[in-house]
Amino acid sequence: MKILGISAHYHDSAAALIVDGIPVCAVQEERLSRRKNDAAFPLSAIEWCLEHAGLEPEALDAVVFYERPMLKFDRILTCALRAFPRSWRSFPHAMKSSLGEKVWVRGVISSHLGVPSRKILFAGHHQSHAAAAFLTSPTRRAAILTTDGVGEWATLTVGHGERRADGSTAITLLREVRFPHSLGMLYSTFTAFLGFAVNEDEYKVMGLAGYGRPSMVEKVRRLVRRTPDGAFALDLDYFDFHTTAERSYSSRFVELFGPPRHAYEPIDLETAEGRRFADCAASVQRVLEDTLVDMARDLHQETGLPDLCLGGGVALNGLANARMLAESGFERLFVPPAPGDAGCAIGAALYADRIHFGNPDREVPDHPFWGPSVDGAELARLAGEDGHHVDRFDDDPELMELVAADLAAGRVVGWMDGALEMGPRALGHRSILASAASPAMRDRLNRDIKFRDEFRPFAPVVPVEAADRFFELPRGGARLARFMSGVFPVRPEWRTQLGAITHVDGTTRLQALERDMAPRLYALLEAYGRRTGVPVLLNTSFNLSGEPIVNRAVEGYSTFLRCGIDVLVAGQTHVMKRASSAAPREPMAALAAPSFSASAAPSLSASAAPSFSSAKERT
Amino acid sequence: MLAPLHRWIWRDAGRRVQKLIRFGETETDGGRDILRAAEVTADPLLRRLYLVHAIDELRHGVLFRQRAASLLPALPQTTKPRFRADWIAPGGHGLDDLQVDKESDAQMLAFLHLSEKAAASRFTVYRNVLTDDPPTCAVFDEILHDETFHMNYTLVQLARIAPQHQRSRLWRARLSRMWKVYLRLAAGLAGVIGGALLTIQYFVILPPFAWLARRAARREPAGWTPIVPERRGSLTRQY
Repeated sequence: MKILGISAHYHDSAAALIVDGIPVCAVQEERLSRRKNDAAFPLSAIEWCLEHAGLEPEALDAVVFYERPMLKFDRILTCALRAFPRSWRSFPHAMKSSLGEKVWVRGVISSHLGVPSRKILFAGHHQSHAAAAFLTSPTRRAAILTTDGVGEWATLTVGHGERRADGSTAITLLREVRFPHSLGMLYSTFTAFLGFAVNEDEYKVMGLAGYGRPSMVEKVRRLVRRTPDGAFALDLDYFDFHTTAERSYSSRFVELFGPPRHAYEPIDLETAEGRRFADCAASVQRVLEDTLVDMARDLHQETGLPDLCLGGGVALNGLANARMLAESGFERLFVPPAPGDAGCAIGAALYADRIHFGNPDREVPDHPFWGPSVDGAELARLAGEDGHHVDRFDDDPELMELVAADLAAGRVVGWMDGALEMGPRALGHRSILASAASPAMRDRLNRDIKFRDEFRPFAPVVPVEAADRFFELPRGGARLARFMSGVFPVRPEWRTQLGAITHVDGTTRLQALERDMAPRLYALLEAYGRRTGVPVLLNTSFNLSGEPIVNRAVEGYSTFLRCGIDVLVAGQTHVMKRASSAAPREPMAALAAPSFSASAAPSLSASAAPSFSSAKERT
Repeated sequence: MLAPLHRWIWRDAGRRVQKLIRFGETETDGGRDILRAAEVTADPLLRRLYLVHAIDELRHGVLFRQRAASLLPALPQTTKPRFRADWIAPGGHGLDDLQVDKESDAQMLAFLHLSEKAAASRFTVYRNVLTDDPPTCAVFDEILHDETFHMNYTLVQLARIAPQHQRSRLWRARLSRMWKVYLRLAAGLAGVIGGALLTIQYFVILPPFAWLARRAARREPAGWTPIVPERRGSLTRQY
C-alpha cells in the first residue's frame, strides 16, 4: 500500500510517504519553502515525496492527516464559549483562522492532490504522536507517553503498544489529560514570559535553566498541582492562553513572578533581574521534570514494561528525558528524531497502515534521513564560478583525512552528506562541525557563525563505542543519545578538554553515533580521533539563526558565504573559503534579537561581530 | 507635505520603538527572500549581487532592532501606543507575497528596483523628521546609503538581463505592486468587516451557549480522562 501522511496548519508542517509499510521519504515543508516553522499546507513536501517515489497522486491508497480538524475546532469553539466574554477579542480571529482553511482539510487535500475524498483519513493528534514514537522504535512492546502543548483536546496521553507474533500491531491509549491542563502550555507560558518565541524557543528556556537556581519551584507548583489520580491540573487563574491569543500569562502570574522580559531586553546575569529570569527557567524546568518523572514512574509500575516510547514536542526536552530514564524505572527510552508535529506525518501514515488497514508489521529503518539528497557536483559548480578552491575526491578516506585536518586546525566545517534529516536536530547529514576542545570555539560559533544567544549550549557527536569514555551515560543512555534526545554529564576529567560542548552545569546533549547510521561522519570522527586522540566533534545544525536547516547544496553554499564557516563539504566535494571572503570586514551585531551577558559567558550585544560585507566598501 | 503627520507619528517614544522593531522584521524578511532569489538564480553575477543585497537587508534588520533595544530602557513600563500608524508610515520592502522561486530574474530585478526606490523615499522622510534623535537618524542614513546601491545595481542588471524590455518590465512591476496594494487593502477591509460581524454574533448568539459550556466545564473532573475504545474511532471521521 502507498500511504501519504500529512501534518499542517499549526506549526512545522510536513509530508511522509509509506510504501508497503516502510517509510520511503519524508520532509518538512520549511526545508523546501525556506520559511522557518512553515505551517502552510505542505504542497512542496508532498510534491517532492511523490516525485521521489515516482508516484502520481492517483496511485496513493490513502492520504492521512495527522489530526481530526473538526474535533480541534470543537475545542477552539468550546474554549471561546467557556471564556465568554473575555474571549471576545480572540473569537473573530480564531473563527477566521479555523473556518478559512483548517476545518476543510478533506477538501483541501482532495483539491490539491485530486484524490477522492474516501481515500482521505484522519488519525488523532496523539495517536499520530504515539505511532511516530512506537512504530519507528526497535521494540516489540513498550509503554507510550505523549505530551505536547495541545492536539485536539488531549495534551498528554499514556498507553502501550505491541507488535504481536502474528504480525499485527496494537497501540492502545488508555487515558489523557485534556486542554487547558497542559505541561507543554505551562512551559510555553514561561517561554513567552521570558521574552522568547512560543513554539520555537522553548529550548532556550532549557538552556537558560542551566544558569539559574530552582528557587521558585514552590511558586511554579502553585500553577500546576498534582491531582489525586496522579495527573496534574493547571490553576487557570495564572494563565490567559485559554482565553486569548494575545497573552499566555495573566496579571496574577506577573504578580507572582514579577514583570516579564521584553524580547529585546538583554538578560544580564550580573543583575538581579537577569538572575530572576534564569531562576524562573530553572524552576519551571525542575517542575516539568518532576511531573514527567512521576507520571513515567506510575506508567512503568502499571505496565511493567522495560521500554518507554515518548512522543510530542515536550519529548524534545533532553533534561527531562534523561531524568525519566534515570528515575522512572524504564530501562530504555525511545524518542524519535522528530517527536513534534512534523513527525506526525510519519506517525499518521504508519498508524493507518498498521492499525486502520491492519497490514503486517515491518521493521522501520532506525534513522532520521528521509529527505532530499545533496549533490556535491552542484556545490563544485557554484563554488568554482565564484573562484573558491574546490577539490573533488574519488577516495573517501583521503577526503576524511583532509576534513579531519581542517577540524584539528581549528577550522569550522559545513558538512552535507546524503539525505536530509527529518526533525529539528542535525544528526550528521546537515551539520556544522568544529573542534569540541575550547570554549573559544563555542564563542566563535555563537558570534561569527550561528549569530545566537550566548547561553545556548552546543552538542557533541561521538562514536557510540567511545561515548562512555567522555560522558556519564546511564543504562539506556546510548539509545537516548542516538538522536540527541538526552542531556548527560560530561565526565569531570574531560570538561576542560571538551570546553566547547560542556554547558555551564557540566552537561551536554550528545549524539552517540553508530557506524551504520551515518558511516561517513563516523569515519570522519575516527580520522579526527586518530589525529587528536579525542574522537568528539561539536555538531550543530547547519543553519543560521531564524533560518531552517539547509537542504540543497546551494543553500549550504549561501550559508557558507554569509558566516564564518571555513570549509564546506557536500558529498565528495570540498570547498575552502577564499581568505578575502572569510575575513571579518565590519563589526555587526548578532542577528539574534535577544542578548545575554554574564560573567560566566561573554556578553552578546552590540559588539558581536559576524563577518558581513558592507555597502560602504563596495561603492 | 506629510512631514507634520510623520513627525507626530514618530514623536511617541513607544510607537518609535514598535516601528523600529517592525522595520527590523520587515528588512529581515525581505533579506531572506532576496537570499532565496540568490539561491534560485542561474546567473552567477546576479547570485553574488543578490547575496550582497540580502546580507545588507539582514544587517538593516539588526540595525533597526539594535536601535529599538537601546531605546527600550528609557520607555516607561506602561507605554502602550494607542495607534501604531503602520499604514501611514510603512517600513522598507517586505517581499512576503512575492513567489521568489517562480519569478524570472528580470521580474525580480524590476520588483526590487521599485521596492528599493519606495523604501528609500520613505526612509528619507523619516530621517528628516527625526532630527531630534541623531542615533535613529544615523541608522536611516546608513540604510539609505545602501539603498542607493541597491537601486543602482538592480537597474543596471535589469538593463543587462532584459535590454529590450527594461521599461516594460518596470511598468509591469509597478502595476503588480499596485494590484498587490489593492489586494492588501481589500483583504484588510474584508478582515475588518468579517471581524465586526463575528464580534456581533459573539455577543448576540453565543451567550446562552457560553452559559451551557461553562456549566459543563464545572462538571469536568480534573486529572485523567479515560479514553474509551469508541473514541479511538475510525480514521474516516474528522470528529
